[in-house]
Amino acid sequence: MATLDELDAPSSGTLAAGSAKITVSGLERHFETPDGLLQALGPLDLEVRDGEFLCIVGPSGCGKSTFLRIAAGLLDPTGGEMSVERGSSGPLSAMVFQDYSIFPWKTVEQNVRFGLEVGNGVPRDADDRTGYWLDRLGLTPFRRSYPSELSGGMRQRVSIARALVVEPEILLMDEPFAALDAQLRMLMQDELLALWQEHRRTVVFITHNLDEAVLLGDRVIVMSRRPGRIVGEFDVPFARPRTADLRGSGEFAALEQEIWANLRSEAYGAAVPEPERPAAPAARGLFRRSR
Amino acid sequence: MTTTNDRPAVSAAPPRDRIVFAPRVSLADRHRRNKRGRRIDNALRFGVPIGLLVVWQLAAMLDLFDRRFFPAPVDVVDSLGAAVSTGALQDAALVSTYRLVVGFVVGAVVGLVMGFLLGRVRRLNVALDPIISALYTVPKLAMLPILLLIFGLSDLPILVLIAASVFFIVVISTTAAVTAVQKNYMEPAQCFGATRLQTLRHVILPASLPSIFVSLRLAAGNAVLVLIGIEFVQGAAGMGYLIWNSWQLFDVGRMYVGVVLVAIFGVLFQALITGLGRLLTPWTRRGGAGAGH
Repeated sequence: MATLDELDAPSSGTLAAGSAKITVSGLERHFETPDGLLQALGPLDLEVRDGEFLCIVGPSGCGKSTFLRIAAGLLDPTGGEMSVERGSSGPLSAMVFQDYSIFPWKTVEQNVRFGLEVGNGVPRDADDRTGYWLDRLGLTPFRRSYPSELSGGMRQRVSIARALVVEPEILLMDEPFAALDAQLRMLMQDELLALWQEHRRTVVFITHNLDEAVLLGDRVIVMSRRPGRIVGEFDVPFARPRTADLRGSGEFAALEQEIWANLRSEAYGAAVPEPERPAAPAARGLFRRSR
Repeated sequence: MTTTNDRPAVSAAPPRDRIVFAPRVSLADRHRRNKRGRRIDNALRFGVPIGLLVVWQLAAMLDLFDRRFFPAPVDVVDSLGAAVSTGALQDAALVSTYRLVVGFVVGAVVGLVMGFLLGRVRRLNVALDPIISALYTVPKLAMLPILLLIFGLSDLPILVLIAASVFFIVVISTTAAVTAVQKNYMEPAQCFGATRLQTLRHVILPASLPSIFVSLRLAAGNAVLVLIGIEFVQGAAGMGYLIWNSWQLFDVGRMYVGVVLVAIFGVLFQALITGLGRLLTPWTRRGGAGAGH
């Protein structure tokens, strides 16, 4: 459908749609431990396209967060390189952390404003931008509350607003909904879906939740156990704009199942029994991209 | 229901006793009970000290003990009046307050600045931590003769000693608080491009304020202790001197006046710091019960 294709294109950015935004080649990260040098990540080769929503799944401790921290400039790689194409003069990236990263000593409004207060001077439209994002995430009634007075979902909304208010070129999300209960998590996924479809930007989203990855992502990357490498790559074929109804479709379940099979055999090292249910509408390997 | 009838095993089971969980107290009674509980708490809070004073007074009036050593509350109040009328008490209180406030503020400020430096500059910490740990354990009062030798018989050695006693408590706690600021608060600061100074202002300072105020309170109590100790042995003014001097003159009533006033003074000083702490850390009191961080 033409209309959907139009919506699919990144709404802003000077780079051509689909061109590489982040190029990762041979990226490695080692940590020094009492037992010697430990390789946490890589070598990793990856390309993130401009305006793409990329989800990364993998077992705990596989270096997903390490990768994200390198992309955020919080950690230096110890090998290989990652290059990012700049599209504007604004902030390159902003990160939504797991729970417990918003500041308990700042009110909701002060938390959201934080990214504008620090760095190179306060932008002239800081108040408007703060107001817009407070409003967009339904935080305006709580602007003077402290995080301790908020529910877990509200706190993660603050975290998301804090990242988006600086209008970063790349949004990095590190299991942002991991601490939420199952229902709240689905609500937040729906909200993020709507939000992203309205404000397209390159997103790297880390999660344990395959359902979440398939619903939100344009592409899902599966990482192996430590040291994390890419062992699977899946295109998510569902048209945008997507809605939460997608969760109920057979194709959705089939893709989730296929990613799980890959994750289970490659990342957890378990043999995957052949699916006995003939009901699955999609044959195995339908979505998988060969690397 | 038909499903139950389908299961003869269930219906054939012998009837058992049922355990019922239902309200044992009505809501109105529960409310009344809570209210009464609070009244009892308050009665205990104020009633016990007052009761003790009354018992003390009665015991003194019945000559159960020697009033020369244990004057009755009424005698102490008499002595208070006498001490105020001569102006001796006001002078002593003024001198002690001055020493305490100046010594405390200097010690706290230097301790805070050093604490932030030691917490943020790792190498400085490595270099100075052994010295600070060693000096911390030296009893401050033992240093008084040395300070008197250096600074002479003025107020200066007293102020230095009080400041030193405050400094060590504050610097050690502040360093610990600053190094303990969690990574999950530091990472966003770094991620959003905060400078060192902005990180200090927006993250490290507020994150460590609650533990800093705990250390200030401890230091305040300790400062009163050191002050009175110094005034016992040195100088001719202050509350400590008043108490010691009263003992030497066997003015037992005035001695008690001094002790009670020093106690009240210490409590007020700590309350002031606690109040200031609450004012500066509003996030710790508003509805923060549910959040452990």
